[in-house]
Amino acid sequence: MTPILEFKDVFYIYPVRAERSALCGLNVQIPEGEKVAVVGRNGSGKSTLFLHCNGLYQPQQGQVFFKGQPLKYDRKSLKWLRQHVGMIFQNPDDQLFSASVAQDISFGPLNLGLDEAEARQRVRHAAEICEITDLLDRPTHALSGGEKARVALAGVLAMEPELLVADELMASLDPWMRLSIFEILQRFYDQGKTIVMATHDLSVVRYWASYVVVMDKGRAVFTGHPKDLLTNHEILAETGLSLVWWKVDPQFPNGESAL
Amino acid sequence: MNNLQAPVSQSLFSNTNGKQGHLSHCPEGKLFVHIIDQYAYSNRLRKTDPAYKAGLALTVLALCLLLNEPLVGLTAAAWMYLLAVRLAGLSARVFGRVLAAEAAFLLLTTIGVVLSFSLTPPGDLATWAWKVGPVWVSSSPPSLAQGVILVTRALGAASAMNFLALTTPLTDIIELLRRWRVPLILIDLMAVVYRFIFVLLDSLDTMYKAQGSRSGYHTGWFRSMNNAALLGSRLFIDAFQRSRRLQLALESRGYDGGNLRVLPVRYQADSRVLWAGSAAAISLVMVWIIL
Repeated sequence: MTPILEFKDVFYIYPVRAERSALCGLNVQIPEGEKVAVVGRNGSGKSTLFLHCNGLYQPQQGQVFFKGQPLKYDRKSLKWLRQHVGMIFQNPDDQLFSASVAQDISFGPLNLGLDEAEARQRVRHAAEICEITDLLDRPTHALSGGEKARVALAGVLAMEPELLVADELMASLDPWMRLSIFEILQRFYDQGKTIVMATHDLSVVRYWASYVVVMDKGRAVFTGHPKDLLTNHEILAETGLSLVWWKVDPQFPNGESAL
Repeated sequence: MNNLQAPVSQSLFSNTNGKQGHLSHCPEGKLFVHIIDQYAYSNRLRKTDPAYKAGLALTVLALCLLLNEPLVGLTAAAWMYLLAVRLAGLSARVFGRVLAAEAAFLLLTTIGVVLSFSLTPPGDLATWAWKVGPVWVSSSPPSLAQGVILVTRALGAASAMNFLALTTPLTDIIELLRRWRVPLILIDLMAVVYRFIFVLLDSLDTMYKAQGSRSGYHTGWFRSMNNAALLGSRLFIDAFQRSRRLQLALESRGYDGGNLRVLPVRYQADSRVLWAGSAAAISLVMVWIIL
């Protein structure tokens, strides 16, 4: 089966940090219909990878494929691509541009060229999925962090993408809020769609993901089943994924032995 | 240990003890912009078509400015107060408080109109004159009358604008301007600026707290000024980076550089506002004719 998204030898260097390449020869395949977790240390290239997914960044070398087709970067192709690849950013405040919740959600559908009635329908539907129908009349700046995250999610889901890319969506949310976001994501996934999410939380890898990509120094150093990663202590230690508590204080305060 | 027990508010917004926090103006512990916004979103005329409310406010404003009589201004202020309290359900305290904030500016201008200051004794035009130290302060009935007209007229006009500001959120006013065919580039700018006022205020609050928790504003006037400058420049960079991220986020939702297209909002027609507006306008004209 062709992967929904594929990176082939992708290089990308930020102009302000030329000495270090953000992506250097990234090869990775994102299988369709999976819940994919992308893990890796800060600066390992996760965010840069994500910004390539819907053509916001163009590889300086190499190619990105969506459903087997190489990405094209003209206006029309990008518009098509962004309809199919939805992207959610780390901080909802960066994404919500309108002070009106309903208007913000309507932005994507209208950009797809839908008429007003259809866009209204999409907004209502997305609001139902994300459980924010009671927030539609509220001003964006009066929402809590969790509410903003759900509104941002609704704004993307209203475009009905096939692939959802989320860059550490839940870093600042409490477990209860995370649960509600995961439930929304599950509804999306149950329609046979694909989700790619960056995380630092290994419990997300263990209990949520069906596929995992480990990034390190601009490359994918592991791809496969989460179980294989979690039992591979070498990779976990090398890529700095697991918290090695005994390095902090060998004397565990609760009486457990160090090793 | 005792000093640890007294919490000192270092936040721009949460003013816990009422005296600390020199940037907090309101007892509710929020900035003025938050207060006005809060009422605009929660009053009883929230769902009313902004065209009705703007029509009412602008008519009263125009009449205040055209019919140059003290009693017209006072009548207008009374009408707006009545409508804000009875129709929109705002509390008299809120309406008065917003007006009082504006009155301070008004008072400063009026002093300049009513009183004149000179080092030499004033001429025959001055009916009253006092000598305060080396300065002569003088006034006369015409300048007093002018001051009265200025105050009453401004009172009426400001009340009309306050009515609109307190009953209509800026998002609705932007919608209205969109309907009135204001150029879309201005509409988009207004919408984004309004949204980011609150985002940047949050950033500002966080940075201010961070500086405060490292004693940023308790080590002398010069350090305080220096830190405020740092805060300003940091905020500017923050805004710049934010605009970059916003651009990326908009593009991922299919934005291609045109106008920011969003769904128009549906409002309710409200004949009460129409009737009230007509009644106010007629009464203002009546007052003017009778005088």
